[in-house]
Parts: sequence; structure tokens; C-alpha cells
Amino acid sequence: MKMGEVLKRIEIPIALTIIATLLQVLPYYFDIPALSSVASTTTNAVLLIVAYATFVGVISILLVHGKRVQRRSEGWHFSILVVVFVAIMVLTGLPLQEFGLGTNNSIFNWIFTYILTPLGGTTYSILAFFITSAAVRAFKARNIEAAIVLVSGTLMVMGNAPIFTNSVPVLADISLWIRNIPNMATMRGVMIGAALGAVALAVRTLMGIERGYLRGGGGDE
Amino acid sequence: MSIMDKINNLDRRIIYLLAWIFVLYPLIFPLGLPIPISSDARAWHSYVENNIHDGDTVIFAPMYGTSGMPELFPMTVATMKHILEKDVKFVVLSFWTEGPLVFNALLRQVDPADYGKVYGVDWINLGYIPGSETAMGALATSFQNSVANDYVERRPLSDFPIMENIYTATDIDLIISFETGTPGAPEWLRQWNTAYGVNIIVGCIGVSVPGMIPYVTSGQISALMPGLTVSAEYELLLQKPGLAVAGVDAVSTSHLLIVLLVVIGNIAFFMTKEEEK
Repeated sequence: MKMGEVLKRIEIPIALTIIATLLQVLPYYFDIPALSSVASTTTNAVLLIVAYATFVGVISILLVHGKRVQRRSEGWHFSILVVVFVAIMVLTGLPLQEFGLGTNNSIFNWIFTYILTPLGGTTYSILAFFITSAAVRAFKARNIEAAIVLVSGTLMVMGNAPIFTNSVPVLADISLWIRNIPNMATMRGVMIGAALGAVALAVRTLMGIERGYLRGGGGDE
Repeated sequence: MSIMDKINNLDRRIIYLLAWIFVLYPLIFPLGLPIPISSDARAWHSYVENNIHDGDTVIFAPMYGTSGMPELFPMTVATMKHILEKDVKFVVLSFWTEGPLVFNALLRQVDPADYGKVYGVDWINLGYIPGSETAMGALATSFQNSVANDYVERRPLSDFPIMENIYTATDIDLIISFETGTPGAPEWLRQWNTAYGVNIIVGCIGVSVPGMIPYVTSGQISALMPGLTVSAEYELLLQKPGLAVAGVDAVSTSHLLIVLLVVIGNIAFFMTKEEEK
């Protein structure tokens, strides 16, 4: 069997996954210095991979939007903006302080402060419109379940606004109770359920049964 | 079509216009509505005031980008002002790419030097640390192995006096994390609180609050700053009204609009139902 074919075998990534996972799990339970040292080295390797992946991200975004401009795809004008601003931010943000570059560079800071920050804030603020519209449509007492949502939701809204809590202080206490008792119990159930699911997934992955992360399902072809 | 039918099928563009007016008006013409102080604000203020002692070392982590700034930036600034008044050392870092830029924006409003804090001696900025939860775990085992240089001067950590006593998570007394998502509090808890017992206080956006409450009631998160309204209350407790106080009138009016629309919508819904019968 050729070396290339050996390296394509499904057992190799499964074995690597099992070893990498055990290296993270075992030092948590057993105090073995050698094991901890290997685990630490593996972790640092992950940090390096993630750091290098940033470059892949930049190349990827330039390729995707470069092609859109080249093919004059729908909205290609916006792609020009993306490419231009990625180039400007990358070049001005390079950590070369001796050349006046880096995150203290005036162009970099200007774009961050006067373009990125207002745009980010605007995107988040759009939620206010959607939430208002959604609340008006969803908060209708069509049946008993909807009535519960309506009452609890409205009380939470009122309990979070000084205009209400200042005139009716008990609203703050009611919303705190909803948040700290029924909500907490529900969220705790969701969290415990998700954690059990994560444990089951980890065990399946460790045993090589779960292969969803491999070749889109881990087929042998 | 009757007026009740029209209300039932209210065009969303009218709702958007009303929301726009109700948010914008108090921002242009502040109403100065009174702001009662909630238990959350008192708990946060009390924790920073009484549980951070002289000589403590604190991690100050802005874990959000520009989209989180409208809600989180005011509490970040207010807490930084509070911390600066104390004799503590602090390490600034973020596992979010834009975190260091957010902190740069903070530095344009609050200069640690004005409080007698010297960079490298009383505080240090480690910038963005890539790797999400894995990086959090690595940082807990060794600062020096996880971060090569500081963010401001690009010098090795060993050049700075503050790092002489900071090597692992056990050298940190508290994490103050402001966050909009992942990585955030659950990751801090897994890698720093459960493993090393480091205390954590968290400032988060309103929509994250329900998910944080189980950690607060279990005592894993020592104090929670849930959103802009409580930020405003905290600013009042500090007697330093700022960005949050300026914005909380808009919270009030927008919430008032929602309640009004919900009440009118339900009245219209039931009246239409009666007419149909």
C-alpha cells in the first residue's frame, strides 16, 4: 500500500482525535507532570494553528470577494468596498510601530472609531425595531400558553424600564422573581440537558463512533 | 376594515417608525426620568467596593466588539473608573478580536495615568489572545507561554515589573468580564473558576441575562451587571453619571412603546374576536 493511501485511511484522524481529547481530559483527573507537559504543548500548538487561521480568513475573504468583483456578481460594488477596507485595515494595522503602523495608526483608528463602531452599533440597534414588532405580534392572549407568555413578557419589559419601576416599585421585584425562579429553573434544565448531550457526544467521539466531523460523515471512500 | 382590524394588522413600518421616534426623542431631548437603584447594581457596586482588596490582581476583559458597545461600553468605562480608584493591579486582555480596540476607545475616555497608575507596573495590556476556550485554558496554566509580548509596547512580558508575580491563574484574584457571547462566562467558569477557584463578575447584554442566572444563583458568578439600565444605576451609585445614564431614558420610552402597543394590540384582538362571534 502506498504512503498516500495509508495517510488517507479514516483510522488516522480518529486516532489523532482520541489522543488529542485524552490529552486534555486526563491531566484534569491525574496529576502526572509528563502528561500535563504534553497536554500543555498540544494546547499551545492549537493556539498557533488558530493564529495562523486568521491569515487563511483574510485570504479567503479576498478570494471570495475578488471573484465576485471579477464576475460582476450581484452586489459586486459592495465587494469592492470589502476588499478595499480589508486591505486598508490589514496594512495599517500591521504591528510595525517603527513605521507608524499598528492599532494606534491614525487611519486604522479613524476607520474603527468612525466607521466600524457606528456600523456595529447600528446593526445591534436594529434589534430594537425587530423586538418591538415581534412583541406586538407575539404577545397576544390567543390561548392560555400565549397568555402566560404575554403576562410574563410584559412584566419583564416593565421591570427593566425605570419609567415603570420608579412609579410601581413592585414591578422590579416581580421581574426579578420571574428571572431568578422560573427562568433559572428552566435554564438549569436546558444546561444540564445540553451538558449530558455533550458528554455523550464526547464519549461517542472518543470511541470513534461519532464521525460527523470527518469528511462530512466519515465514509471510507 | 374597522379600526380594530387595522390595529390587528398594523403595518410593521408604522411600528418601526414609532420605535424610531420613541428611541430618538429622549436621546435628543433628555427627559431626566428618575432611575431607581436595583439589587443588581448594588451587588455589583458592593462587590467591586468591598471584595476587591488592596494589592489584589484583577483581569479586566472586554470580550466584545463594536456591536456590543452601545450596551456594554458604559458599564466597562464605569467599572474601570471604580477599579482605578483602588490600589489594585490589573491585566487587560481579550479573547475577542475587537476587544483591544474597544479598550483603546476606553483609554480615550479614562486614562489610568490620571489615577497614578503606571503602565507595566500597575497595569498591563496583553491584547487579543487567539484560541477561544483553549487559549483561556492555556493562559490559566502559564501567562508567559501563552502570550509572547504585551499589546502596547510589543515587549516580552518579563520586561514588566507587574508580571513578576503573575504566572498562572492562581496569581489572579478576580476576573471582570464584559461580554456578548462565546467565549464568555461559561468558558471562564470552566477554565478558571472550577479549575482554580478564581472569582468572576460578569457584565453582559440584556439578551444573555437568562442564561447567566443559573451561574449567579449557584454562586459561580459573584456579581452580574445585566444590561444598560443597571449600568445607569451603577453610574449613579458611583456618582459618575455617564453614557448609560444618558441612554436609559431611551430604554424607558422604548419599553413604554412596547407595553402600549401590546395593550392596544390585545384590546383590538379581543374586540375583533367579539365582533366575529
